[in-house]
Amino acid sequence: MSAKAKKNEGMLQLSIKDDMTIYNAESLKETLLGYCQPGTQELQLDLSAVAEIDSAGLQLLLLLKAEAKKRGFVLRLLRHSEAVIEVFELLKLGMYFGDPIVIPANWKKS
Amino acid sequence: MAKTILIVDDSASMRQVVGIALKGAGYEVIEACDGKDALSKLTGVKIHLIVSDINMPVMDGITFVKEVKQLDNYKFTPIIMLTTEMEDDKKRAAKEAGAKAWVTKPFQPPILLAAIAKLVLP
Amino acid sequence: MSNINPALETFSQEVDELLTAMEDALLVLESTPDDADCINSIFRAMHTIKGSSGLFGFDEVVAFTHEAETVLDRVRNGEREINADLIAVLLACKDHTAQIIQHVLFNEEEPLPEELQQQGQALIIQLTGTSSAGTGMPTTQEEKADHFEVDVNTTDSSDNWMISLAFKPDALRNGMDPLSFIRYLQTLGKIIEVVITMPAMARIEDMNPEDCYLNFKIAFNSSADKKTIEDVFEFAEDDCEIAILPPNSRQEHYLKLLENLPEDQFKRLGEILVEIGALTEKEVALILNEQNQNDNDEIKPLGEMLVDKNILQQPVIEQALKKQEAVKQKINKESNYIRVDAAKLGYLINLVGELVISGAAMRLMVDKHGLSDVDDVASTMSHLVEDIRDTALQLRMVQIGETFTRFQRVVHDVSKELGKQIQLQITGGDSELDKTVVEKINDPLTHLVRNSLDHGIETPAVRAQAGKPEKGTIHLNAYHDSGRIVIQISDDGQGLDPERILAKAVAKGLVKPDQTLSHSEIYNLIFEPGLSTKEEASNLSGRGVGMDVVRRNIEALRGSVFVDSELGQGTTVTIHLPLTLAIIDGFMVEAQKERYIIPLSMVEECVEMSSDEWQIDDTQHYVNLRGHVLPYLRLGDFFHKNKKHTHTERESLVVVRFGEAKAGFVVDELHGENQTVIKPLGKLFENLDGIGGATVLGSGDVALILDVQGLIQHAKKRVRPGLALSSAV
Repeated sequence: MSAKAKKNEGMLQLSIKDDMTIYNAESLKETLLGYCQPGTQELQLDLSAVAEIDSAGLQLLLLLKAEAKKRGFVLRLLRHSEAVIEVFELLKLGMYFGDPIVIPANWKKS
Repeated sequence: MAKTILIVDDSASMRQVVGIALKGAGYEVIEACDGKDALSKLTGVKIHLIVSDINMPVMDGITFVKEVKQLDNYKFTPIIMLTTEMEDDKKRAAKEAGAKAWVTKPFQPPILLAAIAKLVLP
Repeated sequence: MSNINPALETFSQEVDELLTAMEDALLVLESTPDDADCINSIFRAMHTIKGSSGLFGFDEVVAFTHEAETVLDRVRNGEREINADLIAVLLACKDHTAQIIQHVLFNEEEPLPEELQQQGQALIIQLTGTSSAGTGMPTTQEEKADHFEVDVNTTDSSDNWMISLAFKPDALRNGMDPLSFIRYLQTLGKIIEVVITMPAMARIEDMNPEDCYLNFKIAFNSSADKKTIEDVFEFAEDDCEIAILPPNSRQEHYLKLLENLPEDQFKRLGEILVEIGALTEKEVALILNEQNQNDNDEIKPLGEMLVDKNILQQPVIEQALKKQEAVKQKINKESNYIRVDAAKLGYLINLVGELVISGAAMRLMVDKHGLSDVDDVASTMSHLVEDIRDTALQLRMVQIGETFTRFQRVVHDVSKELGKQIQLQITGGDSELDKTVVEKINDPLTHLVRNSLDHGIETPAVRAQAGKPEKGTIHLNAYHDSGRIVIQISDDGQGLDPERILAKAVAKGLVKPDQTLSHSEIYNLIFEPGLSTKEEASNLSGRGVGMDVVRRNIEALRGSVFVDSELGQGTTVTIHLPLTLAIIDGFMVEAQKERYIIPLSMVEECVEMSSDEWQIDDTQHYVNLRGHVLPYLRLGDFFHKNKKHTHTERESLVVVRFGEAKAGFVVDELHGENQTVIKPLGKLFENLDGIGGATVLGSGDVALILDVQGLIQHAKKRVRPGLALSSAV
C-alpha cells in the first residue's frame, strides 16, 4: 500500500496512491489504522489518486468514518477521484461523509 | 477507465465474436485459447472479469479457475463459466473451485453481455 | 452485423480444422477403439462447433451437433461402446456437419433443403436409435429484452421497490462485488435511496478486510417486474440474502391481478403469488426450503414468512388467501361429483381384472415367441394397464370419515346410558379405502368402540379420583402407511390389567403358568377366544366373546389387529387393513398339476419336505416342525380325493398362519409371488370348502385362491384323509 502522510499539530494528511480494492484491502486497513492514533484530531484523506474503488475499499472508508466518531477525531475526505465520486453517487454517500465533493471539469459523465 | 475482460476459449470464432461484442460494448478484451495460455497472460495487467470455457485442450476451465484462485493479484476476479446443460457435474466442480457465474451454451452475444454487465459494467 | 463477417471466416476455418481432426481421430479409432485422446478430440469437434454455431444463431447446426455431442459424451464416459458401425455413422455425421455448415454460411436466410434435413434425421436415428423430431432440440436462447423504460414521472418516494441485500462474508472473495450489482440495477431504473448498514464491530482491528460486511437497503424506482429485478442478483444468490419488496403501486397492481385471476383451479398460495408475479419461483423455493429445515419448532405459514422477510406486503397476502378460499369454496360448490351405481363400478373393476389377466397372457406370448420388437409395445401396454387398474380401484375408494362420524351418535347415546361423560375425537377422516373394505370394517369397529365405552372409560367419579378429567375421550384415527390403511381406536380410560388377563388366560389353559410373556403379548391375549376382561357382562359389549370375532373379521379382510395399553392411562387398538380387496399379493403353488394361490400375507415360511428328515405322520396328519406339532393338508389329496395321485419325490411344505393357528400345506411345486386379481366364484361354487375365490392366470388357466382360515380348521379337525370335496375344477 503506498500512501504519503504529512503531519501537522494533530492534523494528518494522507494521500492514497493506489486502488482501494480487495487486492490491497489488507495493507490499506493496516495503514489507515496506523493513523487512528491517540492524539490525532483530524485525518484528511486525499483520494485523488484512487483509480479504482470496490466494496472492500468502500467498507474500509465507512468503517474509518465510524471509528473516527468513536475515537473522537474528524475524518475528512479530499479531492475525490472519479472512481470514488462514481461510487458515492451510486450509493448517495456524499451526505454521509459530509465532505464537499469537487467535480472536476473533465468529469466523464457531465 | 475501460474494464478489461479475459476470454478463455479454444474456439477462435467464439473468441472473435465474443471479442467483437465486448469491444462494441466498451470493454477491453484479452484472448487466450486455453487455461495455460490464459495463466501466462495474467501478469502485470488489470483484469476485471474472466470468461472461460470448461472444455479446452491443454488446460481445462476448472483447473484454470483453481489456478487463478492461487494468484495473489487475480484471485478475487469474478469468473463467468461457459457451460452446456449436460455439464452439471462440472458446474458443481467449477463452483467449488471458485467460479460463481454461468452462461449456458449455446448462447448469443447479448446473453453473455447481460451476464457480464451484472458483474462489471463497462 | 457487418463486422461479423471476418468472424464467420474464422468460424469456417475453425470448422474445417475441427472436422479434419475429427476424421483423423475416427480413422485412428478404427484400429485402436479405446484411444481416449481420439475420443476426446472427436467430442471436442462437435462440442465446439455446437457452441460457435449457437453464437451465430445457426440453429440447425446446433441441433444436429447436439445429438452427436450427446452420443460422444456417452462414449467418453464409457456408457456406449465405440465400434465399426458407430465410427461409420460418425464419419457420415462429420460429412453432414460440413454440408449443413456450408449451407448456412452461404445461404444464410434459407432453410435447410429437404434432402439435408432427411439425411440429418437419418443420421440422428442411426446415432441414437430415436428420432429427434419433437424431442427437446436445443435452440439458441431468445434474446432477452435488455431495455426497460424508466418513467421519470413516477418518482413518488412511496412508490419504490425496497431491495434488501445482506452479503455474506465470502462475497468479495468470490468476485461478487455488491457495487457491480447495484450499478447494473441502475440500468433498470432509478436508485432513490441507499441505506448501508454494517454490523457493529467491537474492535476495528478484528475486521477482516477481505470479508464483506455490507448490507444494503435500496429504494428503487422501476417499472421492471420482480423477476427481472431478482435476475440482477442472479450470480450473487449464493453469497447474498436478497429480499425484494414490491412498491405500493405494484401492490395495487397485484391486488387487481388477484381479482381477475380465474377461479377454475385450486392453487397453493405460492403458486397464486407466482402467477401474478408478486413472488418469483426462487423466492418460493427458498422459503419452502427454510420451512423444511425448520423441523423442531412450529412451522410458520408461507404468508407469514413472506411478510416477516420483507418479500411481500400483508395486504397482497391477505387478498391472495381470500382468493384461495373463494376458489376452494367455488370448487366445492360446483363439486364435480357424479353419482355412479356401485354395481357399475364393480363391473368396471371386473373388466379391469380381465384386462390385467389378458395383459399377462400377452406378456407370456411375447416372451414365448421371443418377439423382441413387440416387447416395447407390450411393456408400454402393461404400464397403461397397471395405471388403469390403479385408477379404477381408486374410483371405489371412499373416505373413512363417514364411517367414523356415525359413532358420534353411538358415543353420545351410550355415554348417557352408562352415566359417563365421553367425547369422540376424529382425525384422518379423509383417508381413503375401498368401499367394500369400509362396509366390512363397520362391525368390528363398532365392537371396539363399544368396548372402549363400556370397559375402557371410567365413570366421572372414578376418573376424578384418579386425577383425570371427568370427561373421557375416545379417539378414532386413520392414516395410510405403505399401501395399507391404519385405523386406531384409543381411549384414555382405565387400560388393560395385564395380571388379570394373564390369570384368566392361565385359568383357561391358553398360557402355561410358567410361561413368561411380554406385556404386549399379554394384552394381545384378549383376542383369544373365551377371554373376557370383565367379570360381569353388560348388554353392550357382552362377555368379551367379541374380541376373537373382531380379530377373525379383520383377518378375513387380510388385515391385522393389535392392542397396546397402559394400566390407568388408556388403551389403543390398531388395525391394519389392505386398501382394496380386489387385488392381493398372492403366492402361487402347484399340487397335482393344479395351481393354487395363497394370500402372501398368510404365508409364514416354505420348507422342503423329505420324509427322512421330517417326522410325517401320514395317518394322523401332522408333521413335526422343529419340535412343534403342525397339522398339515396335502392340497392335492384334499381337492382331488377321487384321483389316484402319485407323490412326487420333492414336496414342499408351505406353513400358513391365520391368527394364532398354523398349518402346513403340502404342495408339489412353488411358483412364487404374483399379483392376483380376485374373481368371485359364481353362486354355484360359493360354498366350496377351502376356496375363497379364483383368478385367471396369464396362460388362461384358472388358479384357485385358498381360504386359508377354512383350510386350517380342516387340517386341525382331520383324523382321516379325503374328507372334504370332490374335484372342484
